[in-house]
Amino acid sequence: MNIKLTRGGFAYPGTTRDYKTGTWRIQRPEHEHRRAPCHAVCPAGEDPQAYIALLDMGKAREAWEALVSVNPLPAITGRVCPHPCESGCNRGQYDEPLAIHSIERYLGDQAIENNWDYPVTAPVANAPHVAVVGAGPAGLSAAWHLLRQGLQVTVFDEVSEAGGTLFTIPDNRLPREIVRKEVGRLLHAGIHFEANHKLGRNFYLSELQQNYAGVFLAPGIMKSREWNIDGVTPRDLHEGLHLLKQWSDVASLPEMKSAAIIGGGNTAIDIARVLNRNGVDTHIVIHSSLPDPEHPSEDDMRAIPREIEQALEEGVRIHDHHGIKRLILRGEKVTGVEIVRMRKLPDDNGRLHRVAFEGTESILHVDQVIPAIGQVIDSVGMEHLLAGRSSFKVDERGQIAGSDNIYAGGDAIEGNSGTVTEAVGNGRVAAEAIAARLKQQELPAFNTSKAITYDSLNMNYFEPAARAVQFILPVAERVGEVEIESGLSPQQAAKEANRCFACGNCLTCDNCWTLCPDSAVLKTNDIALDGSFYVFDYDYCKGCGLCATECPSGYILMRNDP
Amino acid sequence: MNSKNVPVTIEELRRKQPRFEGIESGHRACLGCGEALAARLVTEASGPDVMIANATGCLEIFTTPWPESSWRLPWMHSLFENTGAIAAGMESALKAQGKNTKVLAFGGDGATFDIGFQALSGMLERGHNVLYVCFDNEAYMNTGIQRSSSTPHAAMTTTSPPGSERMGKRHLKKDILSIVAAHHIPYAATSSVAYPSDIRMKVRRAMEIEGPTFLQIHSPCPLGWGHDGADSIKVARLAVQTGLFPIIELERSVLIGSMPIRHPKPVIDYLGLQQRFRHLFNKKDSRAIEELVHIQALADHNIKHYNLRGEGVDTMDSDGADTVRRGGMRWA
Repeated sequence: MNIKLTRGGFAYPGTTRDYKTGTWRIQRPEHEHRRAPCHAVCPAGEDPQAYIALLDMGKAREAWEALVSVNPLPAITGRVCPHPCESGCNRGQYDEPLAIHSIERYLGDQAIENNWDYPVTAPVANAPHVAVVGAGPAGLSAAWHLLRQGLQVTVFDEVSEAGGTLFTIPDNRLPREIVRKEVGRLLHAGIHFEANHKLGRNFYLSELQQNYAGVFLAPGIMKSREWNIDGVTPRDLHEGLHLLKQWSDVASLPEMKSAAIIGGGNTAIDIARVLNRNGVDTHIVIHSSLPDPEHPSEDDMRAIPREIEQALEEGVRIHDHHGIKRLILRGEKVTGVEIVRMRKLPDDNGRLHRVAFEGTESILHVDQVIPAIGQVIDSVGMEHLLAGRSSFKVDERGQIAGSDNIYAGGDAIEGNSGTVTEAVGNGRVAAEAIAARLKQQELPAFNTSKAITYDSLNMNYFEPAARAVQFILPVAERVGEVEIESGLSPQQAAKEANRCFACGNCLTCDNCWTLCPDSAVLKTNDIALDGSFYVFDYDYCKGCGLCATECPSGYILMRNDP
Repeated sequence: MNSKNVPVTIEELRRKQPRFEGIESGHRACLGCGEALAARLVTEASGPDVMIANATGCLEIFTTPWPESSWRLPWMHSLFENTGAIAAGMESALKAQGKNTKVLAFGGDGATFDIGFQALSGMLERGHNVLYVCFDNEAYMNTGIQRSSSTPHAAMTTTSPPGSERMGKRHLKKDILSIVAAHHIPYAATSSVAYPSDIRMKVRRAMEIEGPTFLQIHSPCPLGWGHDGADSIKVARLAVQTGLFPIIELERSVLIGSMPIRHPKPVIDYLGLQQRFRHLFNKKDSRAIEELVHIQALADHNIKHYNLRGEGVDTMDSDGADTVRRGGMRWA
């Protein structure tokens, strides 16, 4: 300002805006998005913080679109995922973690109910065409992400319906109706589906490689692992997965009064609950231990703890730390099993192995023994890729080692945990790699940044609030195929979304804007380019750091001024 | 400038801010100044139809470096000792002109508790329609941190240094609110810069009242109290949560409301953040321990005297009153 001095004790008006207090600054506040823990741990790569924020703003559809931009099957994963996001949730250290799985399911169900279109534009006619083998979660996820990348996709499956292993999950946990609707809607988004096409029977890998620009294999593991006790198997042996499929397809089970199920994974628990509900006296024999939420251990059963808990409630008896020593047969028919206590103990070299304890044997009188000890890949048509292994060895992008640009994902790859969510993640990663190769683009590096910790948040600005609980049918009413857990109401979902701390992102709470002593934080009426809702006016910001200390979600960091 | 981040320029954005600000940026307050924040919050709640009489002190100095001014309101600088009288005169003049503009009087604790107290008392006694706001930072900060009658017991200032004879200030903090309320005025309250919505609520309440009203706002001074400017709000909040600065409202000298404390914090949480109390953490000095226990007793006395102990979770208590929500509704 041009100051004109006067003789009197006054000056022409001018405000202190003429003086830039920003020159005092040593450090400056900056917005920095840091990954929320839910994002960092999700096997599918979802960013729950981002879609929960949208839901909290009342934008359910945008929230669902953000969600399916990573995971196209939220109604399914919201029901069956063991939700590591919730174990990671920072709110767990304050009161209770956010019910992220319930919100995911809610958004998935809303999309089905309102028939929201999957956000994608149809690929151009001459876009490269990619083949996907297997229409389970990994194959569907890969197909969806290939489609999003503007490629044409065809998915092959040996059975008549897309869904794969999802149909082996009982209706009480994951209704077939939901699988059909969600998968159907996804295919409708523009994925070609070739039913009743089995690799090695109807077509060969070499044909795919010739006719398609890329190949993704997600055959799953649909063949039961062989099982015997000292070379003996009963004649009328039924395998867990086989029974589940039978139950799911035709809703009937072989005649039995009591059964011993061997195994501690989700298949074992699922079939145990189905049998138990059908009046069978059901036992699970498993050499690992029942999970204790207080002391998780390597030796815990692999099934989802929530499912184990519900199975126990319903009356399934689980004999943990037990193994089968001998089958008691009458002719070739089972009349019982001899079980024995076992423990995993270190040997002289410190390696763990199982030890059976003499004198702890007992007899279970059962007329069926049902192994559910895991499945293996059906290698037909892929023998040379497997090279004698029982699963595919892939690199971090999903490319099969030693193959010519063939990618794989889902249960059939080595080291897979066997969850739907991980399969969805495999599918996405491989699809991105395939698309980048076809478009000759550089692949961005994986985001390995550390998740923001609880100490970086300011808890003074939050209030305790009870976690949303899905209604769970009482044990007595868990009959037939009724789904046991129901979803959240819109009110519950909105309330739950409001509990989110928005770790490492802008909560739009006005704290910085309200508390800046220098009015150097300006509010925008829309999102600023850095994803926040506020802009620092560095002309006047003195760099006191008050906004950074008081930011509830750890979104403001102080950095040395350039 | 960070204007690449928004489609409009910073200047345009600044003009569009959805709030009234009585104080502009560019003032010369220290980093993290509690008083600058408190004064802006008061003007936000009062709105533009006010006139201000401002006593000598930090606020007057840092907002009006000649020839500039941060004020976007009619503002008059009074002397240290006569803010009450000046405000009273402004109010009478406006009344004579038939105007309804509310007069605010701003002063620090020195101008309110000590030097300007006589004029303040006269203004209250004569019943002028003025809201007197005292920004309480507990010493004469502007002149170099000399003790005032508001300085808390055992705090170090340049005129109450700890040493072999004394552990900081020997005397207690003056209970100005009771003294002011004893004038039988319609409304007298305390608030803290850690609870902006509480400040706004109380300013609005006072603005509606015809007659003398008084608001004492606890405003940390990073320089004088010896804490990081980034911690001003944290320190102010702890003063409330420990019970050392009770948030209360008096009408006609009767206690009518208080902010309950959900989980009273030990006073050392508050004292430990500030250099003005560091001599109390000398473990070899038995007087230090005695003073710490003394200050805890003062906090406990406040909690008992004003019945500040909350019963369970209350959304308006010391933990709930600053809860944030997406969209910023909390500060409305």
